[in-house]
Amino acid sequence: MEGGMSSLETAMKASSSVASGTARNADPDQQTVRSNSVEQFYFPRPGQSLPGIPPFFGPPSSSLYLANDNEAKVGNQFEPNPSQSTDWDPQAIVSNLTFLEQKIKQVKDVVQSISSRENQVAGGSCELAAKQQLITADLTSIIIQLITTAGSLLPSMKNPLSSNPAVRQLSNTLGSPMGFGMNANQRPSVDSKTDIPDIGKASGYEELINSLNTTQDERDDLIKCPNPCGGEGSEPTPMEDHDVKESDDGDHEGENLPPGSYVVLQLEKEEILAPHTHFCLICGKGFKRDANLRMHMRGHGDEYKTAAALAKPTKDSGSDHAPVTRYSCPFVGCKRNKEHKKFQPLKTILCVKNHYKRSHCDKSYTCSRCNTKKFSVIADLKTHEKHCGRDKWLCSCGTTFSRKDKLFGHVALFQGHTPALPMDDVKVSEASEQQQDSEPMNEISRSMGCFPCSSSDGISNLDMKMADDARGYYSPLSFDPCFGALDDFTRPGFDISEDPFSFLPSGCSYVQQNGDN
Amino acid sequence: MSREGQKLDSAAGAGGVGIGVLSLDLLGQVLDRLREPRDRKACRLVSRAFERAEAAHRRALRVLRREPLPRLLRSFPALERLDLSACASLDDGSLAAAVAGAGGGLAGLRRVCLARASGVGWRGLEALVAACPRLEAVDLSHCVGAGDREAAAVAAAAGLRELRLDKCLAVTDMGLAKVAVGCPRLEKLSVKWCREISDIGIDLLAKKCPELRSLNISYLKVGNESLRSISTLEKLEELAMVGCSCIDDEGLELLSKGSDSLQSVDVSRCDHVTYQGLASLIDGRKFLQKLHAADCLHEIGQRFLSKLATLKETLTVLKLDGLGVSDSLLQAIGEGCNHLVEIGLSKCSGVTDEGISSLVARCSDLRTINLTCCNFITNNALHSIADNCKMLECLRLESCSLINDKGIKQIATCCPNLKEIDLTDCGVNDAALEYLAKCSELRILKLGLCSSISDKGIAFISSNCGKLVELDLYRCNSITDDGLAALANGCKKIKLLNLCYCNKITDSGLGHLGSLEELTNLELRCLVRITCIGISSIAIGCKSLIELDLKRCYSVDDAGLGALARNAFNLRQLTISYCQVTGLGLCHLLSSLRCLQDIKMVHLSWVSIEGFEMALRAACGRLKKLKILTGLKTVLSPELLQMLQACGCRIRWVNKPLVYKDC
Repeated sequence: MEGGMSSLETAMKASSSVASGTARNADPDQQTVRSNSVEQFYFPRPGQSLPGIPPFFGPPSSSLYLANDNEAKVGNQFEPNPSQSTDWDPQAIVSNLTFLEQKIKQVKDVVQSISSRENQVAGGSCELAAKQQLITADLTSIIIQLITTAGSLLPSMKNPLSSNPAVRQLSNTLGSPMGFGMNANQRPSVDSKTDIPDIGKASGYEELINSLNTTQDERDDLIKCPNPCGGEGSEPTPMEDHDVKESDDGDHEGENLPPGSYVVLQLEKEEILAPHTHFCLICGKGFKRDANLRMHMRGHGDEYKTAAALAKPTKDSGSDHAPVTRYSCPFVGCKRNKEHKKFQPLKTILCVKNHYKRSHCDKSYTCSRCNTKKFSVIADLKTHEKHCGRDKWLCSCGTTFSRKDKLFGHVALFQGHTPALPMDDVKVSEASEQQQDSEPMNEISRSMGCFPCSSSDGISNLDMKMADDARGYYSPLSFDPCFGALDDFTRPGFDISEDPFSFLPSGCSYVQQNGDN
Repeated sequence: MSREGQKLDSAAGAGGVGIGVLSLDLLGQVLDRLREPRDRKACRLVSRAFERAEAAHRRALRVLRREPLPRLLRSFPALERLDLSACASLDDGSLAAAVAGAGGGLAGLRRVCLARASGVGWRGLEALVAACPRLEAVDLSHCVGAGDREAAAVAAAAGLRELRLDKCLAVTDMGLAKVAVGCPRLEKLSVKWCREISDIGIDLLAKKCPELRSLNISYLKVGNESLRSISTLEKLEELAMVGCSCIDDEGLELLSKGSDSLQSVDVSRCDHVTYQGLASLIDGRKFLQKLHAADCLHEIGQRFLSKLATLKETLTVLKLDGLGVSDSLLQAIGEGCNHLVEIGLSKCSGVTDEGISSLVARCSDLRTINLTCCNFITNNALHSIADNCKMLECLRLESCSLINDKGIKQIATCCPNLKEIDLTDCGVNDAALEYLAKCSELRILKLGLCSSISDKGIAFISSNCGKLVELDLYRCNSITDDGLAALANGCKKIKLLNLCYCNKITDSGLGHLGSLEELTNLELRCLVRITCIGISSIAIGCKSLIELDLKRCYSVDDAGLGALARNAFNLRQLTISYCQVTGLGLCHLLSSLRCLQDIKMVHLSWVSIEGFEMALRAACGRLKKLKILTGLKTVLSPELLQMLQACGCRIRWVNKPLVYKDC
C-alpha cells in the first residue's frame, strides 16, 4: 500500500506534463495490443510481469468514447516519454526488478516442490490440496505485489487516467488553433474521428462532434486556470454521464468541499478489488488490516517485536498539515471519477471499494432466498438477506415493494392494480388438497366414533381441511343419539334438524365445482 | 306447528277455497300488503296458492338455522335481501353448499347481512359473491375473525355500494385496499373498530372510491392525514369518527376545505378536538345538518357560537353530551339554531330550568330532547318544553329526580306524539303514569328504579298504550302478578320487557306473560319465586323469545330448562347463572336449543365437570359467546376449549371460586 501511495503521488506530479507527450493512437495494431492486455487482466498468470497493462478496462456497456480513450492509454504506455518523469530513478527500478525476480523464483520453487511431491506420494491428496491452496494464495499475493511494483516501475503509467484528459483534449482540440504541442506521429484529427463511425453509429459520431464544439470554450477556460490539486492534468473534462446509478457509497453529498481544497487519490482497480491491502514484505502474505500484519510480522524475527514496530503508525508522521484526502473512482465517465464534470469525490478507501464494486463490477452474490436479487458487495447481500422474504408488499401486477406506502402509492396510480394478499398462491394448492384429503379425514373421524357436527350436511369435509385452525380436527359431539336414552322428557315433536335430503346433493355439487376450479 | 296451523286454518277457512283461483301475481300483491311476518306465515300455512305466491314473490328472508338454508334459497328465487346474521352455526362449508345448491336462484340478491356470523370465512364469502352478481350491500360487522382475505372475497363484488366491516378486527390496510380497488362504486362504508387500518389505507380509499357518501372511521388509529384524504371526496355526506384520538383541530380544518356535500359529522369522544376545530369545520362546511360532539368538548367559545349561528337554516341535530354548559350558551344555541330537531345534553353539567326554557323558546321543531343526568331540572323545564315543543316524540329524563307527576302531566297533555320517554330513577309515581297513559302513541317506556310504581300505574298504561313495544320495570318491586295480568291484557305488542328484581312476581304472573306472543327479550333476574311452571308457560307461550335472563332465579331447576329446551326454539341468548341446574338439565338444554349462541352459566354449583364437558360438546358448533367460571379452565378438556375457539366462540372467564354442592 505504501508503495502504491507514493507512486500515486509521483504520478500526479508527473502527469501535468504528460499531455504533450501522448499521442493519439488509432492504428489497428494498437487495438490488438489493447485487447491482449485486457485478456491478460482477466486471466493473470502467475509470475508474469505486466508493466503495460492499463489499469482501466471498461465493462461491455462502456461506449465507444471510452474505447478510444483506452486505446489512447495503451498508446501512451507504449511510448513513455522519459523527459516527463522527473523522479525517474534507474536505481529504484533496478532494485524493484530484483525484488520481482526473487519473488518469481520463490513461486517457481514452490511449484516445483509440489510437482516433485506429486510424483512421490500418492496418498497425500489432502495435504496436496492444502498445499495447492496455500500456493494459490501465495501466487495471488505475488501477482498483486508484482502489479504494484510494476506500477512504481513506470510512474508515468501509474495514473493513466490523469493522462486521459490530455489525450482527449488533443483529439478534441485538433481543429482549434490552440493546440498542444503534438508529436509528429500524431494523426490529423480527421483520421481519429473517421474510425469512430467504423465502430459505432453515425449518430454517435455527430454527438461527439457536437459535444466537442460546445465544450470547446469551456475547456479553454479551465486550462487557463488549472486545478491546483497535485498539479496534475485533472481538469474536469466535459463528458457524458455514462453510468451509473448514484448509489449510496457511504459518502457525503452534502459535504461540498470546494474543488482544490483536497487531494484526490485514485486507486487502481486491482488495488480496489484486492482482497488484502497489507502485505508482508517477507513472505508476501496479505492482510486486511495493518494491525494484523504487524502481529504477523512478529513471526519473522525479533526486530519486529519491539514496541515501536508494533505501535500504530501515527498519521502526522509525514506532513504537518495533512491535506484533506478524497478519492476518485478509476472508472472514466463515472461521476465519482475526477474527470467528471460534476465530480463528487469519495471520502474513504472503503467508500471507493464499495462504490467500485457496486457500480462497476459484476453482481456475483445472489440471494439464496429469493434467487433474484444480486449484489457485488457481500455486506449488501447480508443486509438484504435480513429482510428478504419479510414485509414483501406485492401488487397484483407482480411488482414487489419493501414498504406498504410505496405499494399503495403504486396501486393508487395504476387502474386495476390491487394489492395481493400474501396467501393468494396458497389458496389454489389448498383447494386441490381439500378433495384428496377430505375423505380419509372423514373416515378417521367416523372410526373414532364421533361425528362432525356438520357431517350430517355432507359438507363437513370442506372445512375439515381448514388451513390454520383446528376446526376440522375437533368435531363436536352430537348429543342427539345418546340423549335419546338419558332423556326423561319427550323429544319435541318438531325436530328442526331433520332435513336430510337437501344437503347431500348440494354438498356434492360444491365439491365438484371446487374440483373444476 | 299443527296447533297453530289448525287455528289459522279455521280463521281463514272461508276464503281458503276461492284463493286458489286468483293469479300468483294478485296473491303476491296481497302478501306484499301484509306487514306482519306472522300474518304472512299464517297465509302461507293455510293455502298452497299463497305458499306458491310467497315462493315466487318473496324478496326478503331471514334464516335462523343452518340446516334449512339450502332448501330455502332454492325455494325463493326472487330473493333480494338475505339476512343470515342470526343463522346459528353457519360456517363456510354450509354457506358455500347452500349457495351452490341454489344455482342461479341468487342472481337477484342485492343485500346480504352476515353480521356476527363469525363462522363464515373467505371461502363462503367467495362462493356467495360469485353466485350473486348483483350484490349491492354486504354487512360483515362483528365478524371478529374476519380479516383481509374476507375483505378481498367481498371486494370481488364489483357492484357493491354498501359495506359494513365494523369490528372485523383483522382487517388491515390491505383488506381495505382490496375493497377500495374492487368496489369503485362504493357509497357507504363502515370500518368502525378495524384498528389495523391506517392513514395509508384511508388515503387509497379516498382515491379509489369517489362515490363515497357515508364513511365511518370510528375508533380507528388514523390521524389528520386521513381527513386530508377524506376532504377530497366530493360526494361525502356523512362522516363518523367517534373516538379517533389521533385527530385534532388541524384535521378538522383540513376537512373543512373539501366540497360542500358534507351534512353530518360525528366527532364524539375525539379527545383532541376542541371548539376551535369545530368552528373552522363549520366555517368551511356551510350546509352541515348534523353535528355530534358528545364527550369531546370541555368548553365552548364565542367563536364556535358565532359559527354555529351561520348554520341557522340547516342544522337539525346537535349533540353536546358531557359538556359543561351555561344558561347563556343554551340561549345562544336556541337563538342560533331555530330548526333543531334533536338536541343531546345528557350529562351536561349546568343545565338549569332557565337554560332549557331559553333553548326551547325558539326551537319549536324539537322532537328529541336528551336530558339524561341533568339533575337540576325541575317541572318548570318540563313545562317550557311542553309549551314550546308540540312535536316532541322522545324525551329522556333519566336521573332527573326533581321532576314529578305535575311535570309529566304537562308533557303528556301537550305532546300527543310522544313515543318514547325515559323516567328511569326519576321517582315518579302511579299518578304520573295515569297522565302518561294519555299518550296512546307511546312505544318505549322506561320506569326503572321507580319503586313507588304499583300495579295501579301499570293498569293505567295498559289501558291506553296498546302500541307499547318496550317496557322497563327494573327494580319496580311493588309490582305483582296483577300488574302483569293487566299488562298482558292491554299491551299485546310488547317485545322487550324487563322485570328484574320485581321479586313479588310468581309463576302466575309469568302465566299471564305467556300470552305475549311477540315478546323477544325478557329479563327475569332474581325473581326468586318463579319455578319451572312459570318458565314453562313462557317457553310455550312466547314463541318469539330470543333472549332470556334467569340469573339468580334460585327456584328454577332442570324441569324449567327442560321446558325451554322443548319449546323455546328461537332462544338465542340465555343467562342461567345461579340456577339450580344439574348436568343432565344443562346437557339437555344445550343439545336441544338449535339457535342458542350466547350462554352465561356462572355458579352452576350442581353441575359436575363432566356435565359441563358434555353440555359444551353438544352445543359446540353453535356457541359464539360463553361466560363461565375460571376454575373450569383447567378441568375442562383442552380439546373442547380448542374446539370452541375454532368454531368462533369467545369465552369470558369469571374469576370466582368454584363451589360444588353434590360431589
